[in-house]
Amino acid sequence: MTCVRVPAAWKRVLRGGIAVLLLAAAGAVAAELKPFDSGSVNAIRAAQAGKPFVLAFWSVHCPPCREELAHWGHWQGRHPGVRFVLVTTDDPADRELASAVLAQHDLNRVEIWAFADPYQERLRWSVDPKWGGELPRTYFFDAGHRPVVRSGRLDGVWVETWLAGQEGAGAR
Amino acid sequence: MVNRTAIGWIAALAAVAAAPAVAQHSDGDHQPSAAKASRHALGASAAFDAAGTLWAVHKEGAHAVVRHSTDLGRTWSAPLRVNSEPEPVAADGDARPKLAAGLRGELYVTWTRPLSKPYTGEIRFSRSLDGGKSFSPPVTVHRDRQEITHRFDALAVGRGGRVFIAWIDKRDLEAAKAAGAEYRGAAVYYTFSDDQGASFNGDRKLADHSCECCRIAVLPEADGGFLLLWRHVFPPNVRDHALGRVDAEGRGGGPRRATFDEWAVDACPHHGPSLAADAGGRLHAVWFTQAPGREGVYYGRLRAGGIEGGRRVGGDAAAHADVAAQGERVAVAWKEFDGERTRLRAMLSENGGDDWSNLELGATAGPSDQPRLLTRDGGFLVLWNTEERPLEVVSLP
Repeated sequence: MTCVRVPAAWKRVLRGGIAVLLLAAAGAVAAELKPFDSGSVNAIRAAQAGKPFVLAFWSVHCPPCREELAHWGHWQGRHPGVRFVLVTTDDPADRELASAVLAQHDLNRVEIWAFADPYQERLRWSVDPKWGGELPRTYFFDAGHRPVVRSGRLDGVWVETWLAGQEGAGAR
Repeated sequence: MVNRTAIGWIAALAAVAAAPAVAQHSDGDHQPSAAKASRHALGASAAFDAAGTLWAVHKEGAHAVVRHSTDLGRTWSAPLRVNSEPEPVAADGDARPKLAAGLRGELYVTWTRPLSKPYTGEIRFSRSLDGGKSFSPPVTVHRDRQEITHRFDALAVGRGGRVFIAWIDKRDLEAAKAAGAEYRGAAVYYTFSDDQGASFNGDRKLADHSCECCRIAVLPEADGGFLLLWRHVFPPNVRDHALGRVDAEGRGGGPRRATFDEWAVDACPHHGPSLAADAGGRLHAVWFTQAPGREGVYYGRLRAGGIEGGRRVGGDAAAHADVAAQGERVAVAWKEFDGERTRLRAMLSENGGDDWSNLELGATAGPSDQPRLLTRDGGFLVLWNTEERPLEVVSLP
């Protein structure tokens, strides 16, 4: 750390600049983060009616979540028939950082949302009243939207098996 | 598992009316250095000084600020900045500024200052030796100055006035990574001061392999030592709790397992434990787990090799419980979202945790901090910092 004081406005520009550089480095287009409110989970399910999908919650402040991000693009590429929906649970103040982290991964085909209500308990309840806030938290919905829930880093073999099981069962 | 979740899901869909999204907002230009600040960083702590004045610390922009109250929190003084120079202050999730009172009216404040890289931080300390009229420029209490994790500060004042600070530290993880070796989780480090915070006694390790992002509970002991309870990572990835001790000479004692839920997970619970001792020296703890079949918040007395008097705290949405004890009285307070509001709930035991009565202490329809129990004259109070009612203090009967 240096002791040079950088004016706040410059810091914002610098942070934004870093994000842009990371975006450029990843060759990705800045992902639009859709605002996730307590009605969003219904909207997501309606949009995926009759189709399997994966709903995954993560945070920039969660090391296993960031390890997991590396897998989502890969899994999406191998199983294009299953929609992947990522939800960033970070505070709006960390949104630029979240965008920069997301841009490091190949998530072009992944739908990305971000918590848009500071009343986080309400958002978590809208997803699942039993969710204690731990991350990563992932819900696997089959074509009938029966969810299987997982807390923590996922077992890749299990995920591949689940994804393969959805082929021909609504996935297309 | 699937069925239970499906039921929960259906309940959620039925119970939740679509609420309007709250627009994203910036921190505003008047909070220049609060790069990671949030208007909703409600993390607050409070403590009584020897004269009975209640002191609270919380975050305002890029400052830790203290207020005091002489009427048990009904009214509060204007805020006084602890750090006059702005710097980031962590005050969300399991992070919050801490405050403890010394034996002769000293006030001690700690907080985690996030640095630019994710998960990194420094443990900051400031003191007031003039009864809270002014605070010293903050110092970083650890000698290690790598831009790595030093976060989740815990603060306590011991029997002889010793100022004790513990935190989550990743220097051993970083060293292992550099050497290409594996290392589970983070570590619990501590330091202490015997000169009212003028100097600290170096960085000392209590335990390897703590969880990475949960608050640490610290409890001063009658003999001048300190007990610590934290979420640990037992092999290979079991995130139950460990109890460790720092004796009156400042030596750390090897941790022992304290809870036995067998929650095997690689996750960030952001949900640390709390610890209290009754007059008989029995240890009362509350903690959170998502171990299959045991999902929830639990109370229990810690004894070697097991839990005594264990019981579930609240319902499925119970969260962030705190525990306190005085004599044979034990209180547990927690918050619990009911689909519309967050309720402040408590349970009280008059016989050391054998029998309990339940209490409803209030509710809020907006963001809220974790409740924190305070003890005073044999009774219990709860500090609950909510957006609706900042620094509310509720008395238990």
